[in-house]
Amino acid sequence: MWLPHWPITRLSRSVSASPDRPLVTVETVRGVRHLVVVGMHGEAQGLSPGQTLTAARAVCPALVPVDADPVADEAALAKLATWCERYTPMAAPDPPDGLWLDITGCSAVFAREAELAHDLAIRLERNAVPCRLAIAGTSGAAWALAHAGKDRIILASGEERTALADLPVTCLRIDAGTVTGLRRLGLRTVRDLLRIPRAQITARFGALPVLRLDQALGAIEEAIDWPRPPIEWHERLAFVEPIGTPEDLRLALARLAERLYRCLAEQDKGGQRFVARFFRVDDVVPRIAVSTALPVRDPAYLHKLLCEKLDTVDPGFGIEVMGLEAETVTPLHAPQTRLADIAALDASDRLAGVVDTLANRLGADRVSRVTPYASHVPERAVRRVPPLPVKQPSWVGDPAAPRPIRLLRRPEEIEVIAPVPDDPPIRFRWRGVSHRVRAAAGPERIAAEWWRGKRSGKRPETDLIRDYYRVEDSDGARFWIFRTGLHAEDRMPRWYLHGLFG
Amino acid sequence: MRPPFYIAERPADESAAFPGDGDFLRSGRLSRPKALPAHLAALLRGPAKPAGASLPFDDPRVDGCLGGGLPLGQLHEIGAAGLDAETAALPTGFIAALLARIAPARPVFWIAPVSDLHPPGLLSYGFDPNRLLLVRPPKDVETLAAMEVALREGVAAAVVGEVGQFDRTTSRRLQLACLRHGSTGFVLRRWPHGHKAADREASVAITRWHLTPMPSVKDGKEPGLPRWHVALTHARGGRPGEWIMEASDDATHPLRVVAALADHAPEPQRFRLAG
Repeated sequence: MWLPHWPITRLSRSVSASPDRPLVTVETVRGVRHLVVVGMHGEAQGLSPGQTLTAARAVCPALVPVDADPVADEAALAKLATWCERYTPMAAPDPPDGLWLDITGCSAVFAREAELAHDLAIRLERNAVPCRLAIAGTSGAAWALAHAGKDRIILASGEERTALADLPVTCLRIDAGTVTGLRRLGLRTVRDLLRIPRAQITARFGALPVLRLDQALGAIEEAIDWPRPPIEWHERLAFVEPIGTPEDLRLALARLAERLYRCLAEQDKGGQRFVARFFRVDDVVPRIAVSTALPVRDPAYLHKLLCEKLDTVDPGFGIEVMGLEAETVTPLHAPQTRLADIAALDASDRLAGVVDTLANRLGADRVSRVTPYASHVPERAVRRVPPLPVKQPSWVGDPAAPRPIRLLRRPEEIEVIAPVPDDPPIRFRWRGVSHRVRAAAGPERIAAEWWRGKRSGKRPETDLIRDYYRVEDSDGARFWIFRTGLHAEDRMPRWYLHGLFG
Repeated sequence: MRPPFYIAERPADESAAFPGDGDFLRSGRLSRPKALPAHLAALLRGPAKPAGASLPFDDPRVDGCLGGGLPLGQLHEIGAAGLDAETAALPTGFIAALLARIAPARPVFWIAPVSDLHPPGLLSYGFDPNRLLLVRPPKDVETLAAMEVALREGVAAAVVGEVGQFDRTTSRRLQLACLRHGSTGFVLRRWPHGHKAADREASVAITRWHLTPMPSVKDGKEPGLPRWHVALTHARGGRPGEWIMEASDDATHPLRVVAALADHAPEPQRFRLAG
């Protein structure tokens, strides 16, 4: 799809212009302001790109110059590509002024490809976006036809050679220098180019013209940089009238979930991440995403998860099209159950249900399990892992080295009175409250893992040693405190409180 | 004040939950008026719960107050005073000791906005950290909502939530979710550092506990087994009591009663003892 004068189209939506006051974009090259893009009205008045602004003013004094902003153009193009996702999940911007839409298999929804093209053209036209569409078996041929052929052409695959023969070489997406060179040799159309031995073109102009030619004719595959990875599992529902009530949306979601389920079940697959998109009548596309701990495809369950988040979707003036896709798809075999296992299976399903509900409501990183990790450093001895599936190494406790039940995320410094060199403290003060130590056990020496990370040069090595003590105060409260470093002549060791025992 | 038209009577279906002598129960329990329509009466009673599901402390001094043991499939509230109101270390140990014996094969949801629970510390109370499913909601409100979600599925052995503010309506919702689906709920009252523990209204939890640390019996210079002053301040269908408990390393009985401090036994029983 080619959008001629795209920057002008974009600007005319915000800047007022009329046929006798044409919009142009200008850029400054070496102190001279040149026209970059001239709109339809400007062309009618005799303006052309590349003119200096002064010359253009002489031709048409009423013109409205606006600084060219390629970044904004591209952003607007990307937005239009998102809007086009109502037709196909594969829509990519083709800067500076084109869009790729891969409608393979999508035309079934529109009965024919022509219907789709017609619908798209009408909608763009209504929004004052001039466009030229072409549908072809290869992206190169489509590009060529959109730029140089008739509007809304639909080319059956295999006919590229004849259709492209009469088009100028500019339609092959090659740079201006090469085009000038080819013209100088009298090669004006694609047919001329096809007549010449390929080796000679390559020798003179590099590999690009031949590559583009092959791509247009379908001899070589062309890769397009799609903004999103291709989605295999996608269901779409278009409405005759825009819908907006929560009941309607819920119903539509249920239908989509049911359809997606049929596709997934056919191939024994299940998804772990689902995204529902709501294409509104304006160009906003709200979306909701849900993730599950285990692959699922059960439509009722999926529907329930999606509906929980439905209140975040603002339907605005109405929703025209809804899409539901499964992003992470893994094999999911229908479980073979023995009668005896059914209860256990049901319990694990229900557990997965609770985990999913909580993870989708609060965020996936907020639901976890813990697993032991071989480290003596207490804050590293526990790892958080995804909540499911449940299969973990067992925990082994050392009765000689009990661990606190609460571990502060960061040890808090305490003021202590402690006999030197390595007795437990007699008193300490934590969070403004003084505690008299009644009983103490320790020390348990835990050294930092020297193989991890870089040590700052300033601190002495002894600071990496922690001597932990288990102390009980006069009330019976128990704390886990440690001293870093050893007593030296010039410096006092510091004491920290790291945890609490029950 | 007891309204005159209530008839002190115990619903028939609960008799199994409180075996043994229960004169005080009968007299202390309010029940529905006789003339209540059948469907309202059924609502009041709630769905039938598994009869007699309770976790005994294996000590008549405690079980007597609770009517046989800690009732399962109900909501319990556990709090502490002073330092432990903000660190929650004591109640955590107490709950871990209880959880160790509740349906040991099933998972336990631990829902807390502050993530300072140290799973290796639970091992010494006989609780396997592999059963833990940690949920970290942002605030109290989400904690209570998450508790309800977890309780409603009834798949977990127990659901523990650490909350500060806890109003009567929410507690009723949680208690209902416990009753309907059979999981046991524990609300661990915990206040952020610097906040004063303040209750505006009492919850409808079936039991309320209050813990205070006690100096342990020293083992030489080292601290001995942890000792707590455990106060059962409220027990629906039972009576309050106070004990000194010790967390023992015996896996089958992680809590041992050292001494009974107060047993708010009802009049008839005391009379019988005297006679």
